[in-house]
Amino acid sequence: MAQVRESFSRFRRTPAFTGFVLFTFALTLNVILQGPANFFSPNSLGILFSSNMPFLIIVIAQGVLLMSGTMDISIGIQLALVNVVTIMTVQEWGLSFVMGSLFGVAAAIVASVVLWVLISVIRLPDLLAGFAMTYVIRGVNVFIMNIPQGTVARPFWQAYSSLLLGFIPASIIALAVVLAIWAYLKRTPFGTHVYAVGANPQNAFAAGISPVKVQLQAFMIKGLFTGIAGICLTLMTASGNPLQAEDWGLRSLAAAIIGGFTFGGWGTIACAVFGAGFLVMIQNSVYFLFNWLANVIPGLMVTSFWHNFIADSIIFLGLLTTIITVRGQREALRINLEKKYMKRGESIA
Amino acid sequence: MHNSAVLRPITNLFGKVSGFANRNPTRMAIILGLGLYAFTVFQVPGAFSVQAISTLFMMTLLLSFASAGQTMVLIGGGMDFTVGAVMSVAAMITTSIMRGEDGRFLQAFAVCMLLGAAVGFINGVCTTKVGLPALVVTLAIGNVVTRMSYLVTAGTPVGRVGPAFASSVIYRHFGFIPSLALYALILFPLVFYILYRSRFGRQLYLVGNNPEAARLCGINVNKIKTISYMISGMLSAFTGMLGVGMLQASRNQMFDAYAYQSLIAVVVGGTSFAGGVGTYGGTIAGSMVMVMLNNMLTALNLSQRVREITLGLVLVLILVMYNRRKGVRQ
Repeated sequence: MAQVRESFSRFRRTPAFTGFVLFTFALTLNVILQGPANFFSPNSLGILFSSNMPFLIIVIAQGVLLMSGTMDISIGIQLALVNVVTIMTVQEWGLSFVMGSLFGVAAAIVASVVLWVLISVIRLPDLLAGFAMTYVIRGVNVFIMNIPQGTVARPFWQAYSSLLLGFIPASIIALAVVLAIWAYLKRTPFGTHVYAVGANPQNAFAAGISPVKVQLQAFMIKGLFTGIAGICLTLMTASGNPLQAEDWGLRSLAAAIIGGFTFGGWGTIACAVFGAGFLVMIQNSVYFLFNWLANVIPGLMVTSFWHNFIADSIIFLGLLTTIITVRGQREALRINLEKKYMKRGESIA
Repeated sequence: MHNSAVLRPITNLFGKVSGFANRNPTRMAIILGLGLYAFTVFQVPGAFSVQAISTLFMMTLLLSFASAGQTMVLIGGGMDFTVGAVMSVAAMITTSIMRGEDGRFLQAFAVCMLLGAAVGFINGVCTTKVGLPALVVTLAIGNVVTRMSYLVTAGTPVGRVGPAFASSVIYRHFGFIPSLALYALILFPLVFYILYRSRFGRQLYLVGNNPEAARLCGINVNKIKTISYMISGMLSAFTGMLGVGMLQASRNQMFDAYAYQSLIAVVVGGTSFAGGVGTYGGTIAGSMVMVMLNNMLTALNLSQRVREITLGLVLVLILVMYNRRKGVRQ
């Protein structure tokens, strides 16, 4: 029992704790409103994962950048870039889908490196650089594909939305790949340097870590993850659209903050997963809540305006709760560190 | 770093331009704006007419009103992404209250000011007391405000502005001076007074420059920042009213683009993201740059895709000249 309490108190101090609480709340709400039998059926779980996988992965990608102390709001339109490059290389050059996707991933990495040059090398404000890049990428997308078109070969998109062994959503493979890559990176020096650079680039530089280099790595990893998310999106929609997912850039940022990230040096991948999960579950819950209300109260007409309003309000409230708890956590962490390493009377400023 | 003989003149020139821009951002922005206009006229001679200049003047004034509050918030070390949402909602409130009758102007004005102050207050509390990053929280609040406007109007706002109010914005004195300039005669001195002469303005600069020092001087940092957000909300709401006076009818999210436009105008005017530095004169010049840039891209009649790529690249170029952060080695 004492051991359980000990591990819980350790978990409470991790950055992911608030995201976890919010996510659990949203998940419970969703399960109750949808009905456990419906929610946990393999089909609806499959749809849940396959339709939200792109968003989940770009929140992880955004999280990697937040760790290194920067961000990318053009990440949403980059998904569309991966989508159009993949579809058009297959359609125009007659490549196989797999080769096309490799081009798509390469495009995302190139876009990320360009943004790295603007933000880390030339040192522009990351928000405005991302805004400018959104325009450029949107223009490039329309150059590559002027109107929504194209298809993905049937076996590929069918495989994406299928269930392995009858109950495991195939889209989970994409998440597994991303998590495996991160699990490896966490063991490399990059895994610790990224926090040092994010928290305080000057100190990191003084300690012999090159912030510019670490941010290049972060941007390339973000590009790779964005590429994987873009392939998921392509498989999900099975068509090309040069102007989709644009507002996901800012949404992914909000999700990451809700999950427990702050700007620079704080947060783990679990934060991103919980934050994205919270957003998705709330969106679902609101949908099921209004369905339920329409059944209970006959003649109730609910427009999508209500859905959007309630969902966005809850996201805003979610933001409020996170930061309050994140503060408490940091305090707990600081006290703990002082107990461990400081002599009596000293403190970490 | 750049030892190549080919690159050196280019980097030297660029360093000179950049230094020039940073020594006096206002002067640089004016040169940039006029340069963009000259280029437009050179390419499309039709862009040079009394009518066109009058319209550009009007757009510049409108954007500089919208950016006034943003300037104060940025000087105080924050960021206000609700400018666009508040403007749009204020526009819808104005048309639905006025419904074509000038007598109801004061009611509309009062409601809009209340709305602006309320949104600003929430922004201020969430960024200071709760300590959320300004970018994310103001964005979330702006979203909620926008969603609420859809809810209230059911997607289709009604009414239009009163004719006298409309002509107080769009009437052109002597054929070319837009009536909107009369509002500027009140608003500009007001903003200049708040920033440079009032107690609040001086405290705001200190708060943005060094919150800790400001606190030790006995300034209530949170209060000053919250007031800056409230002023921004009210100015945005008023600009929304003027904007809809210009366009007569309102629709949802009609002024959303002003959130980014105002931010870039302020940055081009020499206000830094770090806070504590900036002038309103610079912001007015920055607004002119943004209006001239948009005008150029429209006048050149480029295809949508070329237009967007050009806009993105020009923005990057402008940002490179201005708002570079300091390197870690300094």
